[in-house]
Order: sequence, then structure tokens, then C-alpha cells
Amino acid sequence: MRGRTALAIVVPLAFALFASAAQAHAQLERATPAVGAAVAAPNEIRLKFSEGVEPRFSHIALTAADGAAAPLGPARVEPGDPTVLVAPILKTLAPGVYAVRWSAVSVDTHRTQGDFDFTVKP
Amino acid sequence: MTPTHVPRVVVGALAAVAAAFWPRPAFAHAVCGDRIFPATLGVDDPGVSDELALPTLTWLPKNSDGAQEFDATASWTKTILPGLGLSFADGPTWRRPGGYGWASLDTELKYNFFCVSQLELMGSVGLDVDWGRTGTLTQYQPFNTYAPVLDVGKGFGDLPRSLNLLRPLAVTAEVSSSVPGQSWSDGSQNPTTLNYGFTLQYSLPYYNSHIAEIDNDFLKRLVLIAEFVFSKPISNVPTGANVATGTIQRGVVYMADSWQLAVEAIAPINGASGRGVGVVAELHFFLDDIYPDSLGKPIFMGGK
Repeated sequence: MRGRTALAIVVPLAFALFASAAQAHAQLERATPAVGAAVAAPNEIRLKFSEGVEPRFSHIALTAADGAAAPLGPARVEPGDPTVLVAPILKTLAPGVYAVRWSAVSVDTHRTQGDFDFTVKP
Repeated sequence: MTPTHVPRVVVGALAAVAAAFWPRPAFAHAVCGDRIFPATLGVDDPGVSDELALPTLTWLPKNSDGAQEFDATASWTKTILPGLGLSFADGPTWRRPGGYGWASLDTELKYNFFCVSQLELMGSVGLDVDWGRTGTLTQYQPFNTYAPVLDVGKGFGDLPRSLNLLRPLAVTAEVSSSVPGQSWSDGSQNPTTLNYGFTLQYSLPYYNSHIAEIDNDFLKRLVLIAEFVFSKPISNVPTGANVATGTIQRGVVYMADSWQLAVEAIAPINGASGRGVGVVAELHFFLDDIYPDSLGKPIFMGGK
């Protein structure tokens, strides 16, 4: 019994240690412009994920409230920080509500996706 | 048979039925579209992936026969093909009165057969087998029990933006029928039971990434959960035991990147389900995230 109890304690701890260094599904932690925020016209979309992402398989799209696509440059990871995906906005955004749609493939190939809105103030 | 024997038989049958639906260890987390369904403790989620729940600790409410039970279980799910997995669960049980015993080995072959990403809607089917003669002492059962299982999950991220506050909501549900391999044992009837339940989930990670940013690293990883778990004997029912039993479990899940911790309070729905309040806690590791190139990937990739 004592051996089993020790095993029951040691094994989860061992997994927890491994897990702390593990890769996982890339979850959106924060964004610029912030999720749901009202901001001045931004010049880029910046997404901070919980894991590093593969820029070749990760995408950002931006649409206005009328469904028209806003022109974005290609999404790239920030040099030195593969958890940040950045896409430049190629044209100044008019005031209104915009929707960001993203998909990300983490470095361990798990795919995640999501969307959020932000508002450009007049 | 004296009059006092009848209630004992009924109480025993109810205790057996209750034991059949008490929280089972270790269910897989699931991803469909934007939605991540966390591993839940009373109702299985609809996903299949490589996972390890170790441990699941359950302090049950007092049983209908007055016994107090504590379970410590572990469960491991291994994917064979993408979407197809086999899980193994077992562990010791302490019961007072009754003493120590080792639960029967429980396995489930489960297949995630659909996911509609845009609707955050997914489902799976499985066959759960509780293997007789693998338990010890108080947990010994001389026959197998077979349970076909259906699990579904639906996130509400597809609601219109005008209902933004409801979009982090999700519902999962499960229905199964536990069929004993023997209709009688030790002079008692072994009923077939219908097991059913659902969960309501409000995901703050979903809120943070879809609705508005939460400026707190702890809060934005919590999923608030209520689980409703029921069981009812439907055939070969001992006289007087035709009573639905169940629990309502309210709690919270903390979702880290490759593990989660869930804690829930367990409240029985009626006297036949138990008395008082119990608690269940589970530490759960997502092996597909921890060991993506070895232990955490399907044995056969199926062309993917």
C-alpha cells in the first residue's frame, strides 16, 4: 500500500513536470486590438498565443461589418517570439465594427481557430 | 422472507444502481471548431484523444444504505486511429462499513464520428465494458456489464453577436444503457439501467478569446460547470427498486495548456441517491500535447 501511495503521488508530479514543458493547442491569450475593444484605427493585428505557431499554416482575416474583406499583409510570427502572430493592415480602417478570424497551427501541429470583434472609433 | 428482508434487498439494489453511475474517472477533452470541451467528471465529453487522469479522488455522499465511500482512480485513453480510442480505468475503493477493495477494470472503445466546426457540434459512440471478476473484496462483481454509449456536445459560439454573453455556453450530454452479463447473481436480480446526464458549461477561455479580454491570467482559464447525472433501472428490476437516482455536481475546471484540474461538489437528488454532500477532484493530463510525437499520437495515423 505504501508503494502504491508513493506511486500515486510521484506519477502525477512527474507528468506535471513534463507538462510544464509541453506543447499544446495554441490558445489566443490576448490580441491587439484587444478582443471586444474600441480603439483608434490600428495598423496591424497582433495575436499572442499560449504556444508557438507555424506561420505557414496560420492565418488571420479581417472583415468589416458589411462583410467586405479588409486588406491584410501576410501573417508572420514576431522575430524571436513564435507565440506572436502579426499581420499588417494595408489600408487605414474606417470607423466601424470589424471581425478578426484566425486559425493557428501550433508547432506540434494541433490546429485551433477563433474569431472576435473590435471597433474602430471615429 | 421477513418484512425486514425486503427493504434490505431494495436498498442493496439501489446501492448497486447508484454505484453504477457515480462519477467515473477520466474523460477526454475535445476540440470542435472554436470550442474546447474540457474533460468532465460525471458526464463524458464527446471527444477522443490521448489522455491520462491521475488521480481522480472521490469522496461520495453517504450511500443510501448509510455507507461512506472514497475512491481513488486512474484512467488512460490511448488512440488507435484518429478519433478512435480505447480507455482503461481502475482504482481502489475504501468503504465504511465494508473495507478496502479494488474496483473492476473498466474499458471503453469510443469513436468520435462527427464534428461540425461551424456549429461547434460533435458526437461519439462507444462501448463500455465493466469487466467482472477483476475487482476485489467489496468491489467484486462476478459478471461483465456492457454499456453502449452516445455522447454529444454543442457550443453556442454560433449565436449572433447580439447574444455575445451566451456564446461561451456549451452543453454536453450522454446516454447509455448498462446491461449486466448475468440477469441473476447471488440470488439477486441484476437490472439493466438507463444512464443519462448533461452538463452546462460557461467557458471563460472562450469569453476571453471571443467576447472581451479578461485581464487576469487565472480567471481566463476557468470553465464553470454544472453536471446532472441520472440513472434508472429499466428491466429486470427488483421489487421496489424502480427508482431514479442521480447527482447534481457543481464546480470549476482550471484549464492549463496541457493539463487541467477539476473540482466539483456532489449533491444527491434524493434519498435513494445518498445523503449529504460529496466532492470529486481530478488532475488530468493531455498526452497529445505532452507527448505529441510518441505516447500522445494514434498508433495508426489512418493517412493523416
